[in-house]
Amino acid sequence: MNSLSAPGLIALVDCNNFYVSCERVFRPDLCNKPVAVLSNNDGCIVARSQEVKDLGIKMAVPVYQVQHLIKRHKIQLFSSNYALYADMSERVMQCLEPYSPQIEVYSIDESFLDLTAICEHSSTAYAQQIKKSIYRATGIPVCVGMGPTKTLAKLANYAAKKWQKTGGVLDLSDPVRKEKLMRLVPVNEIWGVGRQTTQRLQLMGINTAYDLAIQPVESIQAQFNVVIARTVMELKGIACLSLEDIAPDKQQIVCSRSFSRRLTQYHELAEALASFSSRAAEKLRKQHSVTGSISIFIRTNAHNENEPQYQRSIRMVLNQASSDSRKIISIAKKLLQEIFKTGYRYQKCGITLGHIRPAAISHQADLFELSGHQQNKASQLMLTMDNINQRFPKGIAISATHMTNSWQSPVEYRSRHYTTNWDELPLVKCH
Amino acid sequence: MSDTVNSKRGGARSGAGRKKGSSVYGESTRAIRVPESMLPELKVVLGLRKQKARNTSDHSAVILPAEQLTKLNIPLFNGKVSAGFPSPADDYIEKTLDLNDLLIQKPAATFFVRAEGESMLGAGIHPNDILVVDRSLEPVIGKIVICALNGELTVKRLKSIGKEIVLGAENPAYADIIVQEYIELVIWGVVTNVIHPL
Repeated sequence: MNSLSAPGLIALVDCNNFYVSCERVFRPDLCNKPVAVLSNNDGCIVARSQEVKDLGIKMAVPVYQVQHLIKRHKIQLFSSNYALYADMSERVMQCLEPYSPQIEVYSIDESFLDLTAICEHSSTAYAQQIKKSIYRATGIPVCVGMGPTKTLAKLANYAAKKWQKTGGVLDLSDPVRKEKLMRLVPVNEIWGVGRQTTQRLQLMGINTAYDLAIQPVESIQAQFNVVIARTVMELKGIACLSLEDIAPDKQQIVCSRSFSRRLTQYHELAEALASFSSRAAEKLRKQHSVTGSISIFIRTNAHNENEPQYQRSIRMVLNQASSDSRKIISIAKKLLQEIFKTGYRYQKCGITLGHIRPAAISHQADLFELSGHQQNKASQLMLTMDNINQRFPKGIAISATHMTNSWQSPVEYRSRHYTTNWDELPLVKCH
Repeated sequence: MSDTVNSKRGGARSGAGRKKGSSVYGESTRAIRVPESMLPELKVVLGLRKQKARNTSDHSAVILPAEQLTKLNIPLFNGKVSAGFPSPADDYIEKTLDLNDLLIQKPAATFFVRAEGESMLGAGIHPNDILVVDRSLEPVIGKIVICALNGELTVKRLKSIGKEIVLGAENPAYADIIVQEYIELVIWGVVTNVIHPL
């Protein structure tokens, strides 16, 4: 643990209701109106505007359960438009660059910035400036939380969002303010404290962030684990988590989807699976890795008690690690043959690539199997394919992935790809 | 006892010690100094060599990693290589022209939008033209701006008459709009360029 000699200052910049905000940038008419964004397949609500939160609609609630509220309050729904969200995220992160030499992009809508020794006089004025410039450039509202550790920055951000009085910016470096706030925040709102841990903590009479922060680190470590012990130290203001400049490569890549209708035929499932496999392989190559194992699963709708249920998964460890779409697809289909049974109505399938490691190291292993020349040709082919697909979405696909895509998710309420497709630019009126 | 046994006393015993080629690689080994950065790769190669040695006696299949090749962009302007006389144009090689350099100052704040309608013809904005919009620019009087007018993204020229702000059309057939409090006005961005196909 690298506790700093002088207390540092970490900021967490977190976009407000990010997906909803992205939609609103191009739809000024939806400002101050209730807006919700739906998950893949339009099944659940995954992002809510403040107005929707105020109606008591919870995160991840299935749409059908709140249909009456959607009608009554005229909630504007959107299907997920990931092309738009990814592009807007990139813009927000780009805007942050001038503000700190060390930035960790933590997720699509939040980044940690090291502000140690940058804003000596007024951290809140500096944070206000960040907030303003991001809104100006992208139209996305953000909140900035600051503190000597990442956990406290996260806590500060939670408070900045919750209490309007903060103006969207809060610094918890001051011990008095920190204590005052921590007494108000329930323990389950702390970063890294999950539901089970919360239950156990509450049994011990630890209900607020403050209760947890005053626990002796040793006894927490003994009763829980090192992760929670670190959280306690971070709450005390001792930095245990450093900023990661480069996001670690994914150890596992999963690609799965529910179908818009139930599938019963092998060839339908095979087509969907091939498409997911191809997507997963693309992600794999993007991080310059190869996979050492492939597993797939299929399942029926577990919520429908009137239908026969079936679910199976199967895994295969590869002799030689690979990132070749053709190989991954053909193995996935072979695995599907093993577990597919007729007579069921399948709702979902997916593929997981495991034992992932950098391509540079395992390259050698392939040479025993494929000659250097063949290997080179295969990776050239994949590279060319990725390049084409990047430039022309839905450009080319491996033959197994049929273009019919009848299983694909509905995107009934998808907004335009405003920023990534020339044919879908925002329209502006001259009248 | 025979003579041979006696004469060998105290010296090297034949067949003692490590057998030649008995290392995990199936041949004799030697210590060398290598750059630290190459250790991971070498360990992988040696590991494979070990495996191979265990399985067969053929070592030919182990191939050392080639240097990672980087991509090199060669400027189109390069003159032909002619023996003896260099092209005088080689001194003037510059990078190729990129329209983005001309049209975009702040990529993170730049958006493309498509114009609909004819109220801005006088400013050279035709229906279906693509406008380059920079959100980070200050919307000063005289600029053409995108504003959210009653919930719609609209193109206007920002003007002032006396103390009042006016959203002006650039077409006599359309009236100017004097900004009053009841109109919700948000400036969305400043138009910097028009892309108009001919």
